[in-house]
Amino acid sequence: MNVVVDTAGHMALKHAAIGEYGSEWQRWGEMLSSWPLWIGIICFCLEFVLWLMLLSMLPLSTGVLLTAFNTVAIMIAGRIIFHELLDPLRIIGIGLITLGVILVGSYA
Amino acid sequence: MKTRDFYVIGFGVLLVFDTLMQVSVKLASKQAGAFAMKLEWLLNVLHNPWLYGAAAGYLGAFVVWMTLLKRAPIGPAFAASHMGLIPVMAISVIYFGEHLSAMQVIGVLCITLGIVALSLSEAKNEVKHEV
Repeated sequence: MNVVVDTAGHMALKHAAIGEYGSEWQRWGEMLSSWPLWIGIICFCLEFVLWLMLLSMLPLSTGVLLTAFNTVAIMIAGRIIFHELLDPLRIIGIGLITLGVILVGSYA
Repeated sequence: MKTRDFYVIGFGVLLVFDTLMQVSVKLASKQAGAFAMKLEWLLNVLHNPWLYGAAAGYLGAFVVWMTLLKRAPIGPAFAASHMGLIPVMAISVIYFGEHLSAMQVIGVLCITLGIVALSLSEAKNEVKHEV
Protein backbone atom coordinates (compact mmCIF):
# COMPACT_ATOMS: atom_id res chain seq x y z
CA MET A 1 0.00 0.00 0.00
CA ASN A 2 2.64 2.42 1.10
CA VAL A 3 4.79 1.72 -1.95
CA VAL A 4 1.84 2.19 -4.31
CA VAL A 5 0.80 5.47 -2.73
CA ASP A 6 4.34 6.83 -2.64
CA THR A 7 5.02 5.92 -6.25
CA ALA A 8 1.72 7.40 -7.39
CA GLY A 9 2.51 10.59 -5.50
CA HIS A 10 5.89 10.97 -7.14
CA MET A 11 4.52 10.26 -10.59
CA ALA A 12 1.84 12.90 -10.10
CA LEU A 13 4.38 15.52 -9.04
CA LYS A 14 6.63 14.69 -11.96
CA HIS A 15 3.66 14.96 -14.26
CA ALA A 16 2.79 18.37 -12.84
CA ALA A 17 6.39 19.54 -13.13
CA ILE A 18 6.89 18.79 -16.81
CA GLY A 19 3.85 20.55 -18.23
CA GLU A 20 4.31 23.32 -20.77
CA TYR A 21 4.15 26.67 -19.09
CA GLY A 22 4.97 30.23 -20.14
CA SER A 23 7.06 31.96 -17.52
CA GLU A 24 8.27 30.55 -14.20
CA TRP A 25 5.55 32.47 -12.31
CA GLN A 26 2.89 31.24 -14.67
CA ARG A 27 4.26 27.74 -14.19
CA TRP A 28 3.73 27.87 -10.42
CA GLY A 29 0.28 29.38 -10.81
CA GLU A 30 -0.83 26.68 -13.20
CA MET A 31 0.81 23.87 -11.27
CA LEU A 32 -0.93 24.93 -8.07
CA SER A 33 -4.27 24.84 -9.82
CA SER A 34 -3.64 21.57 -11.64
CA TRP A 35 -4.98 18.28 -10.36
CA PRO A 36 -1.82 16.12 -10.56
CA LEU A 37 -0.06 18.34 -8.04
CA TRP A 38 -2.87 17.95 -5.53
CA ILE A 39 -3.15 14.24 -6.13
CA GLY A 40 0.56 14.13 -5.35
CA ILE A 41 0.15 16.11 -2.16
CA ILE A 42 -2.81 14.00 -1.02
CA CYS A 43 -0.78 10.85 -1.75
CA PHE A 44 2.01 12.08 0.51
CA CYS A 45 -0.42 12.91 3.32
CA LEU A 46 -1.91 9.44 3.01
CA GLU A 47 1.54 7.93 2.89
CA PHE A 48 2.46 9.72 6.11
CA VAL A 49 -0.49 8.13 7.92
CA LEU A 50 0.34 4.69 6.47
CA TRP A 51 3.94 5.12 7.53
CA LEU A 52 2.91 5.90 11.12
CA MET A 53 0.62 2.85 11.14
CA LEU A 54 3.40 0.66 9.81
CA LEU A 55 5.92 1.90 12.37
CA SER A 56 3.52 1.10 15.17
CA MET A 57 3.57 -2.53 14.00
CA LEU A 58 7.16 -2.98 12.81
CA PRO A 59 10.55 -1.79 14.06
CA LEU A 60 12.06 1.11 12.11
CA SER A 61 14.88 -1.03 10.72
CA THR A 62 12.30 -3.17 8.93
CA GLY A 63 10.37 -0.10 7.86
CA VAL A 64 13.48 1.28 6.20
CA LEU A 65 13.44 -1.68 3.81
CA LEU A 66 10.24 -0.19 2.45
CA THR A 67 12.14 2.90 1.37
CA ALA A 68 14.24 0.58 -0.76
CA PHE A 69 11.13 -0.78 -2.46
CA ASN A 70 9.93 2.79 -3.03
CA THR A 71 13.15 3.77 -4.75
CA VAL A 72 13.07 0.78 -7.06
CA ALA A 73 9.33 1.20 -7.77
CA ILE A 74 9.84 4.87 -8.69
CA MET A 75 12.75 3.94 -10.95
CA ILE A 76 10.60 1.39 -12.80
CA ALA A 77 7.54 3.65 -12.96
CA GLY A 78 9.66 6.51 -14.33
CA ARG A 79 10.95 4.15 -16.97
CA ILE A 80 7.47 3.01 -17.97
CA ILE A 81 5.50 6.25 -17.71
CA PHE A 82 8.07 8.86 -18.71
CA HIS A 83 10.31 6.61 -20.84
CA GLU A 84 13.33 7.51 -18.81
CA LEU A 85 16.64 6.12 -19.88
CA LEU A 86 18.01 3.38 -17.62
CA ASP A 87 21.64 2.78 -18.48
CA PRO A 88 23.85 0.48 -16.36
CA LEU A 89 25.42 3.46 -14.57
CA ARG A 90 22.02 4.72 -13.48
CA ILE A 91 20.96 1.30 -12.24
CA ILE A 92 24.23 0.88 -10.35
CA GLY A 93 23.88 4.38 -8.88
CA ILE A 94 20.29 3.85 -7.76
CA GLY A 95 21.21 0.39 -6.40
CA LEU A 96 24.15 1.73 -4.38
CA ILE A 97 22.09 4.56 -2.89
CA THR A 98 19.33 2.13 -1.95
CA LEU A 99 21.84 -0.23 -0.35
CA GLY A 100 23.36 2.71 1.52
CA VAL A 101 19.98 3.83 2.85
CA ILE A 102 19.24 0.28 4.06
CA LEU A 103 22.62 0.02 5.81
CA VAL A 104 22.23 3.41 7.48
CA GLY A 105 18.69 2.61 8.60
CA SER A 106 19.15 -1.00 9.68
CA TYR A 107 22.25 -0.55 11.81
CA ALA A 108 21.23 2.56 13.71
CA MET B 1 21.50 27.32 -17.71
CA LYS B 2 23.58 24.25 -18.40
CA THR B 3 22.02 21.03 -17.17
CA ARG B 4 25.07 20.23 -15.08
CA ASP B 5 24.93 23.57 -13.23
CA PHE B 6 21.17 23.22 -12.88
CA TYR B 7 21.59 19.86 -11.13
CA VAL B 8 24.49 20.93 -8.95
CA ILE B 9 22.71 24.07 -7.73
CA GLY B 10 19.31 22.34 -7.50
CA PHE B 11 20.46 19.34 -5.48
CA GLY B 12 22.72 21.59 -3.40
CA VAL B 13 19.82 23.83 -2.36
CA LEU B 14 17.59 20.76 -1.86
CA LEU B 15 20.22 19.38 0.51
CA VAL B 16 20.19 22.60 2.56
CA PHE B 17 16.38 22.63 2.89
CA ASP B 18 16.26 18.90 3.67
CA THR B 19 18.87 19.25 6.38
CA LEU B 20 17.14 22.33 7.85
CA MET B 21 13.89 20.37 7.96
CA GLN B 22 15.34 17.24 9.62
CA VAL B 23 17.40 19.15 12.19
CA SER B 24 14.46 21.45 12.99
CA VAL B 25 12.13 18.51 13.54
CA LYS B 26 14.70 16.91 15.82
CA LEU B 27 15.19 20.10 17.86
CA ALA B 28 11.47 20.85 17.99
CA SER B 29 10.63 17.36 19.25
CA LYS B 30 13.49 17.45 21.75
CA GLN B 31 12.21 20.68 23.26
CA ALA B 32 8.58 19.64 23.16
CA GLY B 33 9.05 16.92 25.75
CA ALA B 34 7.09 13.70 25.89
CA PHE B 35 3.95 13.56 23.79
CA ALA B 36 0.73 14.12 25.72
CA MET B 37 -2.87 14.43 24.56
CA LYS B 38 -3.04 17.85 26.14
CA LEU B 39 -3.62 21.34 24.81
CA GLU B 40 -0.58 22.51 26.76
CA TRP B 41 1.68 20.17 24.85
CA LEU B 42 0.28 21.35 21.52
CA LEU B 43 0.63 25.02 22.45
CA ASN B 44 4.14 24.38 23.63
CA VAL B 45 4.99 22.84 20.25
CA LEU B 46 3.30 25.66 18.33
CA HIS B 47 5.41 28.20 20.23
CA ASN B 48 8.59 26.46 19.29
CA PRO B 49 10.54 28.38 16.63
CA TRP B 50 12.03 25.13 15.30
CA LEU B 51 8.60 24.02 14.18
CA TYR B 52 8.62 26.94 11.75
CA GLY B 53 12.15 26.06 10.72
CA ALA B 54 10.82 22.62 9.82
CA ALA B 55 7.88 24.10 7.90
CA ALA B 56 10.23 26.41 5.98
CA GLY B 57 12.45 23.44 5.20
CA TYR B 58 9.52 21.41 3.85
CA LEU B 59 8.20 24.27 1.75
CA GLY B 60 11.61 25.18 0.38
CA ALA B 61 12.39 21.56 -0.46
CA PHE B 62 9.05 21.25 -2.27
CA VAL B 63 9.69 24.33 -4.43
CA VAL B 64 13.22 23.17 -5.28
CA TRP B 65 12.04 19.62 -6.00
CA MET B 66 9.33 20.80 -8.40
CA THR B 67 11.91 22.97 -10.15
CA LEU B 68 14.38 20.09 -10.42
CA LEU B 69 11.75 17.76 -11.88
CA LYS B 70 11.37 20.09 -14.85
CA ARG B 71 14.48 18.45 -16.25
CA ALA B 72 15.53 15.66 -13.93
CA PRO B 73 14.30 12.11 -14.57
CA ILE B 74 12.29 11.01 -11.54
CA GLY B 75 13.96 7.60 -11.01
CA PRO B 76 17.55 8.74 -10.51
CA ALA B 77 16.46 12.07 -9.00
CA PHE B 78 14.49 10.36 -6.25
CA ALA B 79 17.43 8.13 -5.45
CA ALA B 80 19.77 11.13 -5.45
CA SER B 81 17.52 13.02 -3.04
CA HIS B 82 18.58 10.49 -0.38
CA MET B 83 21.94 12.23 -0.20
CA GLY B 84 20.26 14.46 2.37
CA LEU B 85 21.05 11.64 4.79
CA ILE B 86 24.73 12.50 4.67
CA PRO B 87 24.66 16.04 6.15
CA VAL B 88 21.93 14.97 8.58
CA MET B 89 24.11 12.12 9.86
CA ALA B 90 27.14 14.39 10.09
CA ILE B 91 25.14 16.88 12.18
CA SER B 92 23.68 14.14 14.37
CA VAL B 93 27.19 12.94 15.20
CA ILE B 94 28.73 16.40 15.69
CA TYR B 95 25.93 18.27 17.47
CA PHE B 96 23.71 15.61 18.96
CA GLY B 97 26.55 13.27 19.92
CA GLU B 98 24.94 10.26 18.28
CA HIS B 99 27.01 7.19 17.65
CA LEU B 100 27.65 5.95 14.11
CA SER B 101 28.16 2.22 13.60
CA ALA B 102 30.64 0.83 11.09
CA MET B 103 27.78 -0.43 8.90
CA GLN B 104 26.31 3.07 8.81
CA VAL B 105 29.63 4.50 7.65
CA ILE B 106 29.66 1.88 4.88
CA GLY B 107 26.08 2.92 4.08
CA VAL B 108 27.12 6.57 3.72
CA LEU B 109 29.96 5.45 1.44
CA CYS B 110 27.51 3.46 -0.71
CA ILE B 111 25.21 6.49 -1.03
CA THR B 112 28.17 8.67 -2.02
CA LEU B 113 29.32 6.15 -4.63
CA GLY B 114 25.76 5.92 -5.95
CA ILE B 115 25.62 9.70 -6.41
CA VAL B 116 28.95 9.56 -8.24
CA ALA B 117 27.59 6.85 -10.56
CA LEU B 118 24.46 8.89 -11.30
CA SER B 119 26.55 12.00 -12.03
CA LEU B 120 28.77 10.01 -14.39
CA SER B 121 25.68 8.73 -16.19
CA GLU B 122 24.34 12.29 -16.53
CA ALA B 123 27.68 13.56 -17.83
CA LYS B 124 27.77 10.77 -20.40
CA ASN B 125 24.18 11.29 -21.54
CA GLU B 126 24.52 15.05 -21.79
CA VAL B 127 27.13 14.64 -24.48
CA LYS B 128 24.90 12.33 -26.50
CA HIS B 129 21.45 13.79 -25.99
CA GLU B 130 19.21 15.28 -23.35
CA VAL B 131 16.98 12.81 -21.56
